[in-house]
Formats: sequence, C-alpha cells, structure tokens
Amino acid sequence: MHEPVWEFLIVNYLFLGGLSAGIFFVSAFCTWLQTEGRPAYPRIARAGALLAPWPVSLGSLLLVFDLGKWWRFWKLFVVFRWESPMSIGSWLLLVFTGITLVNLYAWLTEEERNRLFAILPAKLPFRQRLPDLHTDLGAWKRNLAMLGFPFAIGVGIYTGVLLGAVQARPFWNTNLVAQLFLFSALSTGTAALILVRSLAKGPKDLAEFKFLYTLDICLITLEFFIVLPYLIHGQLSVLAVREALGLILGGPFTLTFWVLFMGTGLLLPLAIELWEFRPVLLGRGALHISQNLALAAAGLVIFGGYVLRYVFVFAGQASGLR
Amino acid sequence: MDRRLFMQMVGAGGLAASSIACPKFFGRAKAAPELPAPLGVPTTCELCPNKCSVLAVVRKGRIHKLNPNPENPKSRGMLCARGNAAIQQVYDPDRLKQPLIRAGARGEGKWKPVSWDEAFDFAAGKLAATKEKYGPQGTLWSSTEGFQEVFFKNLGMSFGSPNILRHPSLCLASVNLAYSMTFGTVPSFDLLNSKYVIMAGANRFESIITPDTMDLIGGVMERKAKFVYLDPRFTVTASKADEWYPIKPGTDMAFILAMIHVIIAEDRCDKTFLDQWTLGFDQLAAHVVPYTPEWAAAETGIPAKEILRIAREFADAGHRAVFYAGRRSSWYQNDFQMRRAQAILNTLVGNWDREGGMVPNRKIEKGEFMFLPWDDPAAPRVDEVGKNFPLTSAKDGVYLPLRENVLKGEPYPVKAWMIYKQDPMNAVPDQGKTLKMIEGMDFVGVVDIAMSDTAWYADVVFPESHYLERTDPIEVMPGIWPAAVLRQQVVKPIHDTKPMLEIAQGLAKRLGLSDFFDYTIDQWVAAEAKDLPVENGLEHMKKHGVVGFSEPKYGTTRNAVFRFVTKSGKIEIFSERLAEAGHDPLPVYASPAQPPQGKFRMILGRKATMTHAALANLPWLHEHNPENDLWINADEAARMGIRTGDLVQVTSTAGTVKIKARATEEIRSDCVFMLHGFGKKSKWLRSVYNVGAADSILLETAWDKVSGNAAMHETFVHVVKV
Amino acid sequence: MAKTGNKRYVMLLDSRKCIDCKACVVACKAENDVPLGVFRNWINAERSGAFPRLRASFDPEQCHHCENPSCVRVCPTGASFQRADGIVLVTEADCIGCKYCMIACPYGARFFNEETRVVDKCTFCAHRVDRGETPACVETCPSRVRTFGDLADPKSPLHALLESRRYRILRPQTGNGPQLYYLL
Repeated sequence: MHEPVWEFLIVNYLFLGGLSAGIFFVSAFCTWLQTEGRPAYPRIARAGALLAPWPVSLGSLLLVFDLGKWWRFWKLFVVFRWESPMSIGSWLLLVFTGITLVNLYAWLTEEERNRLFAILPAKLPFRQRLPDLHTDLGAWKRNLAMLGFPFAIGVGIYTGVLLGAVQARPFWNTNLVAQLFLFSALSTGTAALILVRSLAKGPKDLAEFKFLYTLDICLITLEFFIVLPYLIHGQLSVLAVREALGLILGGPFTLTFWVLFMGTGLLLPLAIELWEFRPVLLGRGALHISQNLALAAAGLVIFGGYVLRYVFVFAGQASGLR
Repeated sequence: MDRRLFMQMVGAGGLAASSIACPKFFGRAKAAPELPAPLGVPTTCELCPNKCSVLAVVRKGRIHKLNPNPENPKSRGMLCARGNAAIQQVYDPDRLKQPLIRAGARGEGKWKPVSWDEAFDFAAGKLAATKEKYGPQGTLWSSTEGFQEVFFKNLGMSFGSPNILRHPSLCLASVNLAYSMTFGTVPSFDLLNSKYVIMAGANRFESIITPDTMDLIGGVMERKAKFVYLDPRFTVTASKADEWYPIKPGTDMAFILAMIHVIIAEDRCDKTFLDQWTLGFDQLAAHVVPYTPEWAAAETGIPAKEILRIAREFADAGHRAVFYAGRRSSWYQNDFQMRRAQAILNTLVGNWDREGGMVPNRKIEKGEFMFLPWDDPAAPRVDEVGKNFPLTSAKDGVYLPLRENVLKGEPYPVKAWMIYKQDPMNAVPDQGKTLKMIEGMDFVGVVDIAMSDTAWYADVVFPESHYLERTDPIEVMPGIWPAAVLRQQVVKPIHDTKPMLEIAQGLAKRLGLSDFFDYTIDQWVAAEAKDLPVENGLEHMKKHGVVGFSEPKYGTTRNAVFRFVTKSGKIEIFSERLAEAGHDPLPVYASPAQPPQGKFRMILGRKATMTHAALANLPWLHEHNPENDLWINADEAARMGIRTGDLVQVTSTAGTVKIKARATEEIRSDCVFMLHGFGKKSKWLRSVYNVGAADSILLETAWDKVSGNAAMHETFVHVVKV
Repeated sequence: MAKTGNKRYVMLLDSRKCIDCKACVVACKAENDVPLGVFRNWINAERSGAFPRLRASFDPEQCHHCENPSCVRVCPTGASFQRADGIVLVTEADCIGCKYCMIACPYGARFFNEETRVVDKCTFCAHRVDRGETPACVETCPSRVRTFGDLADPKSPLHALLESRRYRILRPQTGNGPQLYYLL
C-alpha cells in the first residue's frame, strides 16, 4: 500500500460526472413524464437541462489536466477497448456531454438562442452555415431525454465500475460500488435541482417539490440499502475485503465515512426531507416546504456525495492484497 | 487470433474507432528501432579494494552503464551497488572541476579556482619551503590504496621524505601481521569449498569482499555449508547464518581459545599435519589448559555446551573447516593476538593449503617499469615504527602513533601534509586531533575527486581525474583465483582534472624531481603488460581488461622442499620472534574493560551500499541511506525514554555529536553502533553536509600493541536524549 | 508479433541468497534511466522474531510480467501491452498518463515517471534481452539470486530449478498469473 496515485482531481471528477448524470436524469425524467403532451415539470426539466453540461465539462477538464500528458487525451478516442472501464467511460462521457449540450440548446428560448448566435464570433468557420443550426429543437426534447437516459445511467454507473473492476483494491472490488455511485449520482443530481428550484425567484410550486422530495427520499433510501449490504457482505467476505473495510471500521477513514457521509450526507438530509414530508406520510396536514430546510437537505446530500467519492478514492488506494 | 483484435472488430457496432485501431494494432507490431550492441570498454572499478572488472558502456559520449565483466575470476561476473553508482561520481555537479586554492580560513569553504600552473607553483613552493626549514622529513605523505597511489608515494619518496603513511594501520594491519607471523604469508579462505565456516564480526554480506561474499552465500545456501557467526549486532550476515551468537564485544579470543582447548583435549587435531609442518604444539597444549568452554562462556556470554559442540563440529569438518580471518581488524588493543589465536585454531585442523581451507595467495606475473631510483631517506620515520612496532610493516607506517608524535612535534616537526585519495577527518579516529594536526601544518595539500572534509580544510586541492577518465598501472589482485586487471580510459576527463601521475609530474617539475617521473602511463602499462602470462599482453588487456586463473591450486606448499617465511621455516604456533620482541608468543587472554554504568561501547561496521566514508553523497546510493542513526538496544532505549527517531547526544572523551536514535533488538545492550560517512563538514557533499553524524568525532585514540593498528572499538560513549 | 517467437520469459528468485545489497536496484537505475525516488525494482525486507531469535528475509520484486496482466486490460489507449514472449511493456508514445494501470497492478510495480511523464516499470530489460543479454539486475547480482530465461525452451535451466525446488508466487488470488517464481 503506497501513496495514493489518484487524488482530489479524480474525486472532483467522479463527483462532478455523477452530478451531471443525476441532473440530466432528473431533467430527462421530468421531460419524459408528460401531462397533456407537455413535460410534467417543465421548470425542473429546463433548470436541469441548462445545468447538466457544466459539472461534467468541468470535471472532464480537470480529468484531462490530471493526465501525465494532458495534450494526448485525444488518444482515448482513437481506440475502443471494451476490457478497459476507462475506455468505455471516456466514450460514454464524450457522447453524454454531447447530448447534454444539445439538450441544453433544445431548452433555450428563442430569445436566448438569438443572443447566443449574436455573441458567436463572426470569424468562426462555416459562419454562413450557422443559421441552419439556428433552429428550434424544442420538439426534440423528449427524444433527447430518452436518448440521454442510458448515457446518464452509463456515466453514473461507470464511475463505479472504474473502481469496482480493480481486483487489486479489495475496498473497491465489489459489484455494489457501481450501484452505490449511480444512486449517489442520482440523489446528488436531485438535490442540485432542489437547490436550484429553492433559490429560484417567484412562488414555489409545491407539486415540483413534492416530486423532487419523493425522488430524493427514494434515492437516498436505495443508496442506504446499497451501503448496508456493502458493509455486511464485506465483513462476511474474504480476509482481504475485511481488512479493506477495516479502513472505515476503525481505520483512518472511519469518522469521515460514518459522520460525514452516513451521518450528515445520508441520514440527516433523509431525516430533514422525511420531516418536511410528514403530512404526506401521515396522510394529514398541509405540505409546507421550508426554503432553509430544502437548502440544508440538498446541500448535505451534495456534500455527502462528495465525501463518498473522497472516501472511496483514498481508502481504496490504501487497500491491497497480501 | 489476438483477442483484442477480435473484440475490436465485433464490439462497438462499427465504431470508427475500430477501423482506426486496426492500423494502430499492426503499427505497434513494428519493433522499436534496434539499439546498437553496447561497446563496453573493459576497465576496473575503483570504488573499493575489490577492483572488480567492468565493461563501460558509452552512449553519445556519456557513460551510460557499467556492466560486470565475466572474465574476472575474482569478481565472479558481478558488480555491486557502489560499482554501478560510479557513473554518478563522474557527472556529479559538485565534483572538483579544477584546482583550488584556499581563499579564507581553513575549513571556511572559500575557494579560488586557479590554473594548474598556479596550483603547482603554490604547492611546490610550500613543500620546498618546508624542506628548507625542516628537511624533507618535515613533509608527510598519506594515501589510501589505489592504482595511481604508487605515483603519489614515489613523489614523497623521491622528495626524500621517510614519512610515507598508508591506510593499513587503520584497517587490516593486525590481521595481516598475525597471519604473517604464523604462516609467513597472509592466505585467503577457500569459502567456495568449505564445509564449516565460523566468522566473527566479518559481516561479509554487508561488507563485500570478492569472491568471499559470493562464495559464502553459495556455500551456505547451495552447498549447505554450516555457518556460525559471532557479532554483537544482528547484521544481514547474522540473518543468513545457521547459528548467530551475540558475543560480548572484545571476547572473541576467549571463544577461540576454548575451541582450541576442546580440540586438543579431545584429541581432534590433525596430528600428521602438525608434526610435519608446525612448531610449538606442546607449548600450546599446556597454554590452553585453563581456557575451558565454561570459562569462555562466562567471558563471551555464549553457553558452554554450544562452544563445546561447535568446537567438535569444527574439528570434524577437518580441512574444510575455517575460522575466517576477517579483513578490517581495527577493533581492539589485543587484536593482533586474537587473530593469532584464529590462525592457530585453523592450524589445528590442518586446513592449510587444502581445498576448503586457508590457501596461500597466488600472484600473477607482470612486468615492472624501470624508473630512475632515488636515494633512501636520510631521516628516520616520524612514527618511529621500527622502534615501537618493529614487527609491523614499516613502509605503511602506524597512523595513530604517527599523529601523536606529530602533535607533540617529536622526534622532529612535521609541517607539511600531502594527502591522496584519503579523508583523514572521517577515516581516522578522534577528528578533534586530526583538526589539531591540520592546524599545526604550514601546508596541507589534497588530491581527490570530490571535496572531502579533509579537502575542505586544505590549502590547495588538486582535482584528480575519475577512474573512468584515466588509464592506470596494471594491478595484480592476489588470491586463490588471482586476477591482473587493467584500468583504461573510458571517456576523456570532462573537467580540468589530471590523473595522479600528471599531478606528480607537475609538482616534480618544480621540485627538481622530473627525472624520476620522465615517462607516460602508457609506457608504464606497456612494460607491465609485457610479462603477463598471456600472449600479446597489452593487446589482451586492452581488449579483455583482465587476465586471471580460474582453476585454484591446492597443496603447492605441502612438500618437503617448501620453507615457510618464518624464523623456523615452519608454521609457528609458538612464535619466538614475538617473545623476542617482548610480546606474548602465544595469545594470552585478558577480559576487556566494560563500559561503566550508563555508558556503551561504540562499535563500527559497514553496509553494502557504501564504501567507508566516501560514497554516501551519490544519489543512487544516498536514496537507500539518507542518514545514519545510532543503533541502541531497545530495552536500554526504553529505559532512557528514547524512541526511534529521537535526537540523542552522544559523548566520548574525544568529542560529542547529535544523531537520531534507532531503538532496535538487533544490538546488544552494552553497545551502540553508527554507520560511517555522514555528518560531513564539506558543503560540496550536499546530501550529507550536516546530515547525521561523523563517528570519527567520537572515536578515541587507541591502537593494537603489536601491530599499531587502530583500535576503533575501544570507545565508551554516553548517550542522552536531547 | 511473430518476431518474438514462441518464448515465455520468466524470472526465478532464490531469495534465501538475497543480501539486500541493492546492486540490482542501482544497476536498473543506471541501465534504464530511472529517476530518483521511484524504482522499477525493489527489495522487500521483513524483520521478525524477538531477541535472540531474530530473523530477517529479503525478497526482490519488480513487475511480474503476468500471464493475464490487469494493467494491460485496464489501459484505455492500449499503450500498456504484452509481447508474445510475455514481457509487458508501455509504449511511451501512446501513454496518456492516466495512471489507471498503476492502481490496477496488485504489486504496485508501476510508477509515474516525472521526467518522461508517462507510466514506467520493469521491462525485463527487453532491449538487452533482444540482444541476447540478461536483464541488468540478473547480470549484476553478487549472490546470484536471479535466474532469467525462456520457460518455453525445453533446454532451459529453469526447468531443473523449478522441478527440484519448491516455489511460490506472490498474490495468486487475482488470477493474474505472475511470472516471478520465488524459490523456497
């Protein structure tokens, strides 16, 4: 067990990639769910569409600059090596990012599109062809959502597969890691949208929040029920895995994992959201969504998602085989 | 079909990538451009006394790698870590690049780079002035073994000084003298064929000697020789031994005498051999009566029944049993007598000149370059070696007694000191005294390749060309598998440096001694190569670098005609010459002094990645040994509240140092240990400047009575947490 | 690929004989221009026991040039590859320095070379082997710990050693099939 090779840049990328995947997923879900032929939660969908490309783009940029020779990143895209999770992931990322950008464009209003084309520099090649691109893709929103679903899931899952495929790191080498990262991605994405919608001007749409909270509660609960088997089954597994888990069961990452992730990252926001959801659960009383509690819960989920990536990246590299 | 190619074609539904991947795949099949076969220039390593043969690979004018030359039977086709690291000495950015004259005070580190002419004029002027005032005997010429050392010594001798001082009295003078007095020569040990080996303190797996180190590992591990090792420390050698005993320091002689006692008492000697070839058995038998295993157990801390058993096993192995002599024997004040006891023990089992035993060295004939001889010096040596140590080698001198005399100014003043390839500040015990000696000099001149601590305190520093940059005289390495080796230039000197011969010539010119150095190195080498036991000697040596004998010869001395080079002509168990000189003719044991309460005996030792004080600065070696520390027994450390990594103050009557501690079970509770070669004062040895501590500051001045060899394990130190 | 023929290069290590002298480490540094602070090969030193029954053992290690190298599997650009003779190499020109292979290696045999800015490791001195020489570490060892050879060659001295001595491999549980054999 030596010094970690992947450090905070990778943690950031895994987090940001997952975040975009989750944001896009929720946005696409809100688009795909239709009432009267229109997206069921258009404001959530649009907020998500506008937001989705940026975390993953930033994350990818960080990723590229973390490379030993960053200018060689293009070499990832002249081969496809199905045995390498990183190769699959790079392609997934490329396509996914592309879809989120097109999707963003599809959700722009006409005014926004005009402004966009106004600021594009006149010296761009094919400037004369740009008007052809200046189209309203609004009709394509649902198709884009459906096209993007598998790629969003793919991005959410593959970050887990990247780690899970490494036999040499028993902390990672379980098929639950992919699920864990996926659900963490989805719940942080949901939380991000809760955050955005809470901060949006204007009156709050209770139906939106009911939808987002329901989603988030389900996702966090599912996440919890993935972490639990990861721990239990791990403790019943071979010595190498038990020793690896020791890192969070008494070892140097224990407090971070249990207090910062499980505590403030999972259970506390879940409790807050359940508390807000009392009326729905108990079947009586009116639903109120406090902005402060919404921000708090969402912020904690996002924070928890980051801590999860941090613990996994660093503890994983501290684990090994004997 | 390659799995990768198959999958690329099948998977990803015709992604463009797969079609791009195909040419990439085939593209990679083209091999990397062929590298040319290395041109290895055969030469000889200089980083330690073993002088292994190497093949130097040069790429684009830069030495890239030193490969072992398998043709040398002594080095057995290997090259150790230090040998491999020699390249870094050549390209060391802090290396001496041109002559320097001191600009500030001694040791201040202010240097003026000067031309060779200026340096020669300056040094010659000082030497001449010293000669004028004090006679040529007022100059001291000290050096350590090396192929160009002969030119340095010749310069001193032709200058007329009797004071030629070398390193043996800091190292192996006592063991060599002990074996010489017994056998008339110093033999080597045929570890390749031994069946029972006892080594005391000779840490062969960290202190590499060829071929002993390799043959011992082969013996112990492959040929299942039994290996018993005595050492107050658990060294690497201890970890490989069949039996390791943490013997009480200074009691080896007791162990050996008890073994002799048992072997004689139980009639396990090789009587035939003893009758035919030796003298003094009866006196020995009487002498060892009191030295029982029980007595020895009390002295050494080794249980009597083990001593008894080992003695029996040793004798049973007959001529394939050896008690290894060791090499660096600068341990105790009774070291000579202890090695004598060893020699006598070896004699009893008749292992002389037999397979698996002690074998007299064979030499290889070589020619001699005839240079103009000079007159013998008029004055006697300042160390009065003939008077005080009449038995020891006069031509090497006795270092510590010499220093005492020089400090006293007796029997006459010595005011100029020329030093070649030696770092007395670190190599000689009691650095404080060495500094005083330097202070008392009107002139100190150093020839070296890097700025050693001694060079740092000199008045003028002459940069010698590195061994890879020069051609040297042919050297014969005697042994059971002797080799004659050539050192030839691999690259031209990359800085303004000169080989010692040219430095000698430069000084000689100004001292009127040119006639004695009126030749080139090539002429010298050619003369030596002429008489080598191989056709076209010079051509052979230039092409192969070495000529050696790989078939050992046993029993060449076991014939009626052979006369041992001793007074009696036989192997002298009992030595009349010793008695005449006022020493014990048979080894007499005296219990060593024990460190008083609260103090520890300081012991020394080596490591395979360093050569004495010199190499700790080389990056490839330094990264394995960044700093030295003080080994202290774990229980003692706990008692004093010292943990590994804590800084401790170590003090002796000679000086005091601060060093990090290492609490370990691998050393006895009555001793402490530290490695050599750290705590340097020279800023041009940047990795070890002020890092760790210098043991020479602590070591007190003591020497073996008979040989004058330094006794470096006689210092007691006080240790306290800082 | 055919030019490397039907060979299988492996190394046998008789670590009983290893004295931790670091000759192999320094020789490798010199031969392969390895930067300071990182190593293509190293010695695992283990100390155990209690005074006076102390024990120390030394096991050299480097890339195991596995049968099923995980490092080759996970490489996204294919820079990490294995020759037909078993030697695992990195094509410097194709390596982007993502370091995934470093993490995937169960032995920690790979490192990031700050000078070339790609991933680096023991190459069994392929450039020497292709010339008919042995790796630098094998050639230089004072104790003759290392035996290098072609396991596919029925005349190789490796077979006699593997048949007469017991041996072990490190971390077999991955199924990578490491090709450094530690003679017991």
